[in-house]
Amino acid sequence: MIRYIDVHKAFDIPVLSGVDMTVETGEMFALFGPSGTGKSVLLKTTLALIVPDRGDVHVDGISVHHGPPGSLEQVRRKIGYVFQHAALFDSLNVFDNVSMGLPESEIARMSRADTARRVWEALEIVNLEPREILAKLPSELSGGMKKRVGIARAIVGRPEILLWDEPTTGLDPVNTAAVERLIKRLSGELEVTSLVVTHDVEGGLLMCDRVAMLSGGTLRFCGTPEEFRNCPDPVVRAFVDRAAAEAALDMATT
Amino acid sequence: MKRLAVAHPIPTAVVGWFARIGRAYRITLEHAGALGMLTWDSFVAVVRLRVRFRDVLTQTHIMGIQSLPIVFVTASLAGIVTSQQGGYQLISSSPRYVLGTLVVQSVVLELGPLLTAIVLVGRIGARITAELGTMVVSEQIDAFKSLGRDPVAILAAPRIIAGLITMPLLVGFADVVGIYAGMLMADLDGGLGKETFFYGARLFWHSWDLFYGFSKAVVFGFVIPVISVHMGLRTKGGAEGVGLQTTQAVMFMILTILIIDALFPPLMLQ
Ligand SMILES: Nc1ncnc2c1ncn2[C@@H]1O[C@H](COP(=O)(O)OP(=O)(O)OP(=O)(O)O)[C@@H](O)[C@H]1O
Ligand SMILES: [Mg+2]
Repeated sequence: MIRYIDVHKAFDIPVLSGVDMTVETGEMFALFGPSGTGKSVLLKTTLALIVPDRGDVHVDGISVHHGPPGSLEQVRRKIGYVFQHAALFDSLNVFDNVSMGLPESEIARMSRADTARRVWEALEIVNLEPREILAKLPSELSGGMKKRVGIARAIVGRPEILLWDEPTTGLDPVNTAAVERLIKRLSGELEVTSLVVTHDVEGGLLMCDRVAMLSGGTLRFCGTPEEFRNCPDPVVRAFVDRAAAEAALDMATT
Repeated sequence: MKRLAVAHPIPTAVVGWFARIGRAYRITLEHAGALGMLTWDSFVAVVRLRVRFRDVLTQTHIMGIQSLPIVFVTASLAGIVTSQQGGYQLISSSPRYVLGTLVVQSVVLELGPLLTAIVLVGRIGARITAELGTMVVSEQIDAFKSLGRDPVAILAAPRIIAGLITMPLLVGFADVVGIYAGMLMADLDGGLGKETFFYGARLFWHSWDLFYGFSKAVVFGFVIPVISVHMGLRTKGGAEGVGLQTTQAVMFMILTILIIDALFPPLMLQ
């Protein structure tokens, strides 16, 4: 379970001003919001990649920002993070990138063959052909491939919680469907908690148990997809309508 | 208007000056604190055996072996120029063997360490800042942290260790090259034989000089990676931020090295 408690963060201007949100264990939770409202910033506070000015995040009851020494390490071990722009390590090839996702303590105990098998499996899950790309450097991959390697790196360590920052943006429809199936499967079979930031509102509504919308620094909405569709709030309405219009335009142009 | 200005006890320009000094002071303290933290964290990472030997080896190769050609060129030129200028100034005023003393002392005490350090700022310092800065802006540092890895153990510590190892070795290399180049030049230029040259060198030689030169090397070998890593990790913004940060890091390193170099005589030559 992830609990965001009164999270505040300002850079030059306030970005988050009091976000309260709870994602239950095993849940698939989608977070929507216009570009630049601080969705990525909120996700990053979960791992203390960004430290909030005020407030805290609790992961399975452990305080990320005000916990005793060691609690941050504990939290980071539980969570896999899919970065918006993949954030692969330039100087490492695909194999080394993905194997970085295995915890150090685990690598020490595993044989070389076991490590290779885990990396191989993770790449197959995201629809990549391991034989072809294991030895490649990130600069030799396409944007969509990088993204999927990033996902493989996040899931290879079998985390209990996954934070997905726009996992399907920039992927073709086939791979978008594959990633959505993956998120569903992880939640269904392995009870992984997934918090998904996405611009694909329709996809998010179809897939997730609950959804929330971030706007103007606070949660504008939080509830089931059904409630979201019928929400009378004009800001939510406007966002949904615009998203629908853009989706229609996408369909027309591709 | 005039009366207002008179009534004000402290002219605005002075206030502005104080504000600027205050700000510079605060920024200096901030950097000093962060550099201290980085050093401490790296030390802890080493003690806890979290630094991989392979990373240190790679960095040592980049900083050491790959710097040999440029260090060779600068050191020979330094030796040649010192020898020529010294020979020119010493004409008829002193015994000729003093040229050997002059070249060896200049190279070992000053030129070897300082020029090697300046070269390494350009070759290694700038590279480290740009490399780590790019990793910051492309979220690779965040990725390390999210995977439970410690960027200090992976990135900072190996570079600092490599600096401490390679710098004294490079300075030793520069000393030998500089002295030989100076000696050859003295021979070509003024027909000063090898024996006379080294006679002069030995006459005023203290082993302390070598220690003095190598102390500089160790300090510079520490300063360059620490500052460049520190500056790289504080990069903000995109490609432009990386460029800006790299320039500032180079200025920061060169100034620090020159100041430390100026502090050496009063501290160690008493
Ligand atoms: N490290 C940072 N330093 C300064 N400002 C930042 C930083 N990270 C984010 N911001 C600012 O915070 C705001 C929110 O950024 P964020 O990346 O969270 O948006 P987002 O909701 O994820 O948008 P998108 O959907 O486009 O990814 C932006 O105005 C951005 O400029
Ligand atoms: Mg974002």
